[in-house]
Parts: sequence; structure tokens; C-alpha cells
Amino acid sequence: MNLDKLFNPKNIAIIGASRDESSVGFGILKNLTEGCVFNCEYCKPFPGKIYPINPKADSILGVKCYENILNIEDSVDLAVIVVPARIVNRVVDDCINKKVKGIIIISAGFGEFGEEGNQMQEEIVAKLNKAKIPMIGPNCLGIIMPHHNMNASFAPTMPPSGNIAFISQSGALADSIIDWSVENRYGFSAIVSYGNKAMLDVYDFLEYFDKDKNTKVIALYIEGVKDGRKFIEIASKIKKPIIVLKAGRTDEGMKAISSHTGSLAGSYEIYKAAFKQSNVLVADTVEELFDNAKALANMPKLNGHVGIVTNGGGCGVLCADYCSEMGVPLAELKENTLKKLDKSGKMHPAYSRRNPLDIVGDALPERYDTAVDTLLSEDYIGGLIVIQTLQSITKPEEDAQVIIQANKKYPNKPILCVYMGGKFSKKSMKMLEEAGIPDYNDLKKVARAMKVLMS
Amino acid sequence: MKQIKFEDTLRLIKKYNLNFIDSKNIKSECDLNQLKFPIVMKVASEEIVHKSDVGGVIVGIKNEEEAKLIYTKLKKISNKIIVQKMAKGKEVIIGMKRDAQFGPVIMFGLGGIFVELMKDVSFRICPVDKKNALDMIKEIKSSKILKGIRGDKPVNINKLAEIIVGISELSMKEDIEEIDLNPVMVNEETAIIVDARFMK
Repeated sequence: MNLDKLFNPKNIAIIGASRDESSVGFGILKNLTEGCVFNCEYCKPFPGKIYPINPKADSILGVKCYENILNIEDSVDLAVIVVPARIVNRVVDDCINKKVKGIIIISAGFGEFGEEGNQMQEEIVAKLNKAKIPMIGPNCLGIIMPHHNMNASFAPTMPPSGNIAFISQSGALADSIIDWSVENRYGFSAIVSYGNKAMLDVYDFLEYFDKDKNTKVIALYIEGVKDGRKFIEIASKIKKPIIVLKAGRTDEGMKAISSHTGSLAGSYEIYKAAFKQSNVLVADTVEELFDNAKALANMPKLNGHVGIVTNGGGCGVLCADYCSEMGVPLAELKENTLKKLDKSGKMHPAYSRRNPLDIVGDALPERYDTAVDTLLSEDYIGGLIVIQTLQSITKPEEDAQVIIQANKKYPNKPILCVYMGGKFSKKSMKMLEEAGIPDYNDLKKVARAMKVLMS
Repeated sequence: MKQIKFEDTLRLIKKYNLNFIDSKNIKSECDLNQLKFPIVMKVASEEIVHKSDVGGVIVGIKNEEEAKLIYTKLKKISNKIIVQKMAKGKEVIIGMKRDAQFGPVIMFGLGGIFVELMKDVSFRICPVDKKNALDMIKEIKSSKILKGIRGDKPVNINKLAEIIVGISELSMKEDIEEIDLNPVMVNEETAIIVDARFMK
């Protein structure tokens, strides 16, 4: 089944668009006409035609309403259904007659809601399979495609555009992450909440986003997969990195079984084995999922050893500790490199002369520039961690510029930053993130992110 | 789920060329003549899932006299009794269970406290090839013990990997729900299954 029109439609019908500002049917329409309900800098209206379907209203939010999808003269690519569960079946019939190319069923009250709901769900899926129309949901948040200015969901706002496709079994988690991403500038190529996965499941999305040109990494939040062997088979074939956060790790699936082996085989252990066998990276927390995803989305793979440049000795030592604990190889600075640094005349007499390269607390942008450029110019150094602690003479924004330039000059070597600080480092952190250089507020996080660039 | 008969277990083990320690059925005291001591004597009834818990495994039997005494004792637990040679080496455990989502899954760990207390085990979804099998052996934290510490010689992990691959193959083809090879003894030369429990 072709999913193109589902994720990149020329126009969208919202069946169940509502005038009631407290309803989901209103929220989705507003997200399409304005890009969001909670306004932020990344919100833009959907550029294609929008058709609200509501037999009782003439227009909502200034957009002409239709009584039925069949009354629309033009062909329709995507139908978003948000009517009560009991009439979804009938609405789906209309969509099939209209020959829409894709459907999102937001409405709840299906498979997650007892036997009757499940039966309705199965009926709908059977029809859509026959008509070859792909469907996401039911019982989901919808989808957001920031590059297309398409917010076909009832999420609060639009995240920044970027290269992470986030596929989530939980809608509410996606909601919070969107809010968070606006603050922390995690950029997305797609956010997909797939709800009851009645028709399209995680496998389908993996295959689709592997080919999507805006996506560089696929981040997954899953609670479980229906067919584990199929997951392994498909995930193994995906060329882009996949990183997963799995929920239900402790008591889920722990069945009382008679043999010794069984009692140890908690299902998360088995999932972890499956992820390992299909080259899927595992994140432990939501923050780790996106910390690592943004490194994978913005930086090339690490080849070789890592250099650390810091204006604070303690931070350099801690970072070296975390790197070696995690198996990130640290470079040993060669005599020739030190000669270059000495010759530059920019180093403090007491600079460390070893990796981590401590360029001392009074380091100004010029010294950062010399240190960063000298290390990156060496073939034996494959990537760099740049640490900046905020001291009275530090110039965080100018230092950020130095790093942004270095990233342009050495596109094949990953650079990750730790701007340690808060209020007075914020502007420079934003500069780095906007230039696609991942910044972390913690030394362990940066070491872990460098580690995933090794895989 | 029930344990399958000892004879059926042995038949499957042979079918997949898995190395199982020589075992002899003991029908009467006469069968205890002319054995090469020391030996292990254990019950082999499919009714008993945890042999050691019922005192059904006696190791290090030194002579015929001792063997006869123990035979009488074990007869009270079960009338199916076998003797085996004492195997030398380090104890490991290889297991298999069927997962609802992933199908047969193999578990590997070192015997004794490493599995029970430390939960130091590794898992792989079947089919497991030789490379994956070696990876899962090296993955456990206690694998250093297999490499040989304090002057011990390293054990033959290739032979262990062969058993894992064989169990994986068996699990993919046969109608068996769970397998517990506990222990498998591994030394510098070889790895040999000393006890096996197949559940169906």
C-alpha cells in the first residue's frame, strides 16, 4: 500500500470538524488552518485545501464546511475522522466511495474498548484492506509533518522541523515531547501516533521513513509489538539508525512458567535481545531517546578517536571518565599536535598538553578556535567534544560561532557540545542547536551521544 | 506443560548431534557391577522436574558398595534411575523458552550463583548462528571465568556455541515448549550436556 498521500497529501478533509472550541474536532481543524492551538514560532497553516465536514455548520474558522465528503467536487487525498465511534463505520464507507488515498481515525472506542469496539474495528479494517486504503489508528493523536506544515493531529502545537521521525504508540507522550521540542529545539521530520495499530503498524512506518528524504533517524516509543519476528526481520533491513524506548519492562509479559529459564526471561530482556539482533539502539529514558536521536540526526558517524576541548579541568576529567566507561575511545595527543598548539602562541602556558585538552579558564574565542581547529585537522582524531563552562570572561556566543564554523569546515567529523550552565548560556545553546550542533547540559549525556555515533 | 520422557529427550539430543554424557539405565543392583567409578546417580523420571530439590542427584559415588546403598535410597523416589560418568569442567546453563511475540528464545549463563543470584544471563531470538552464539557467550559479565582466570586454562567456547546453535535449530523444528540444559560442563577440550529437561 502506498502511504505517500497519508503523509504528504495535497488536501485534507476533517470529518467531524466542530465549532465547539473544547472539542478535538475543533482542535484538529485549527491545527490545520493555523498550524497549532498554542502558538509558537514554528506554526504555519497547512498549504493545501482543507475541507471541514459538518452537516450543521456553514463554515468554521472561516473555512467552508461540507455536509458530506462525497459533496466535495475535487478528489480528496487524506480524510481525518473524528466522529463518535458508532458512526465511524458509515463515514469510512463514504471515504471508500470518495476514493480517498489515506485515512486517520482519531476517534476512540474501538479495540481498546471491549468486544463490541473490537468488532467494529475489524469490520473497518476488512473494508479498507479490500479498498486498499491505508489507515492510521483508531484511537490516536494523528500525524504531524513539520516540513509540509501539516499538523493533522490534536497535539498542542507544531514542533520545529528536523530529521527525526518519531513513531509513538502513546499519543500523550508525543504531546509532551512536542511542547518540549519547541523549548529545546528537537527537530522532527514526522511525529506519528499510531494508536490501536489496527491496520498500519510500526513495521509499515519503519519502511516508509527509511525512504523519506527528510528523515535521518527513526525514534520509536513502543509498549509492545504484535509480531516480534516480523519486527526483527523488517528492522534489520532498515538502513537508517533506529533508536527505541520500550515501556513495560518489569512486570509485562512475565509469565509464571515452570522451568528455571522461563523465570529469568522477563520480556524486556527478550526485547533487548531482539533489538540487538536487528541493530536497533536502545534508550533508557525519554530524554536519552532524543539526546541520542539528535546526535544521529545531525552528525556523521564517529570514525577514530575522540578529542575533548574544555576550559575547565574538572569537567574534562569527568567527561573522560564517562567516555572510557562507555567505551568511547579517547585520542592520545601526538607530539606534533602539541607542537602546533605551542607554535600558535594562543595557548595558556599551563594548558594541559594532553587529552582532555584543558585550554584553561581564561580561554577566549581565539583560543577555542586554535584548539578546535588543530585537533580536528588531525587525521587520528575522528570527533570532538567541546566543553564550555561559563566564567566571568567567557564569550559563549562567540565560542559558539567558532564551533559552528568548525562544523562547516569538518563535515565528516562529529562535534558535540556541552555548554554547562543555565540562564546566561541559553542564547549560545540555541545558536548551536539551530546550526545543527547537538548541545547537552551534562557530561554523561554527551559521552552517551558520542557512543551512539560509533554504532 | 509436561516434561517429556528421558528416552525421548535423548532421541532429540541425538537427532541434532548434541553432545550428551554417556548414561546407563539401572534396572537392578546387578547393573551396578563393573562400573568405572566415580559416578553420578540420578533419577530420570519425567514426573520429577527439579531432581535436586527431591534429593534425586548424587554425585561423586566412589565404589560399588556406596552405589548400591544410594540405589536403594533413590528407588524410593523413582524407579527410573541412571548412572553417568563424572564430567569435568565449568558449569553453564543453556535454556530455551517460547515467547509469545518472538518465538523460541535461547538463554545462556554460568551455573550456580551467576544465574540464580546475579541474573547474569544473555538472550538471543532464534535462529542463532555460530557468531551470535559466541557473542552471547562473551556478553555475560562472568564470561571472564570461561576465558580462564587465576591460571585456569580457557574453555572451548566453540563447542559451547555448537550446542547453542543445535538447540536453536531443534527449537525451530521440534514441538518443544521449553528446554533446560543444566548443567552443561565445559572444559578446554569439549562441552557436554549432563542434564536435560525438555518440556512440551
